[in-house]
Amino acid sequence: MAGGMDLGTGGKGGKKPLDVSINLVPFIDLMAVTIAFLIMTAVWTQIGRLQVANSGQSAEPASPTEDKTPPIALLITEKELRLSAGTQNFDPIPVTRGANNKIELEKLRDKFKELKSQLPDASAITLQAEDGIRYEDLVRIIDECKGDGLPNVSVAAAMG
Amino acid sequence: MAIEIPGKRWGKRLQHSKVFGHGGHGKKQIYADLLITPLVDMFVIIVLFLIANFSATGEVLMMTRDVQLPEAFNSTEIEMAPVVMVSNTDIIVSGNAIGRVEDLTRDEYLNIPALEEKLRQMKKQYEDLHALAKDTEGSFKGDVNIQANKDVQFKVMKRILYSCATAGYSNINFAVLQKGGDTAAAPSTATGSP
Repeated sequence: MAGGMDLGTGGKGGKKPLDVSINLVPFIDLMAVTIAFLIMTAVWTQIGRLQVANSGQSAEPASPTEDKTPPIALLITEKELRLSAGTQNFDPIPVTRGANNKIELEKLRDKFKELKSQLPDASAITLQAEDGIRYEDLVRIIDECKGDGLPNVSVAAAMG
Repeated sequence: MAIEIPGKRWGKRLQHSKVFGHGGHGKKQIYADLLITPLVDMFVIIVLFLIANFSATGEVLMMTRDVQLPEAFNSTEIEMAPVVMVSNTDIIVSGNAIGRVEDLTRDEYLNIPALEEKLRQMKKQYEDLHALAKDTEGSFKGDVNIQANKDVQFKVMKRILYSCATAGYSNINFAVLQKGGDTAAAPSTATGSP
């Protein structure tokens, strides 16, 4: 039969049955090959990136609105986080850690909201980290900045 | 009268019993049909699950037990670039060990000469290869992926950032584990100035 379908017709005479049985063998073969290929090429861990540019140079050109906003900086020490916007200094946020020794950033999120209400055009922030800061804490703070409307994050070493 | 072979002879009733293959409802079939429908259903589900996990970018980073990446919600998709792997003990660039983290924490210098040299060499290789192929579009962009363990101190990271920037790799990407399913809508930028 054409198309590999068995119509179940034996001879010339008699009525042809209406039910058609599809040959599943090639379909199963195709499935098996597809599964093998997909298992080999599967990516089980989704890896992303947080982009960093050269020192003092942003990957995106600075827009004129950015020049009007005062420079926003966040000093990261092992005990506290100090947020400042130009000459304005916000209250220091003590560093607290939750489960799995992860830094808690709810208070920093509130500060960012407060900052964004004052400076809605602000999009750049400089993170000044001390030597003892863990990479995970730095990445979590960068992630928080990006999530709270400050996508252009600079990372610098803390002076002093 | 028929001649019978001497020996045991069963009774008529026993001779026609199931023990000797008689009686019952006839012989059972040797061939059994396999149920194909649940098999096909299972295959379809597996294929759909694997297609959902499929990534066309391939394996950009080699995951090892020594390097546990931090997690981030607002990350973008990673791209092919030279990889600087920083574990708690070693710094490895594209499979070659560059130095020990313990030594780097002792020094007070800002750069890592071996790392700079290796990255410069890779940059030159890339540029030579593209010049030979007369590929004008694939110019050097300065992308580098940093795959660092989450416990590494910023003291080490700032030296790596500085070395990358000095060697001409200004677009530095921190490799992270994507969380939350969705990636950031627009690519965001961070600037490093160690």
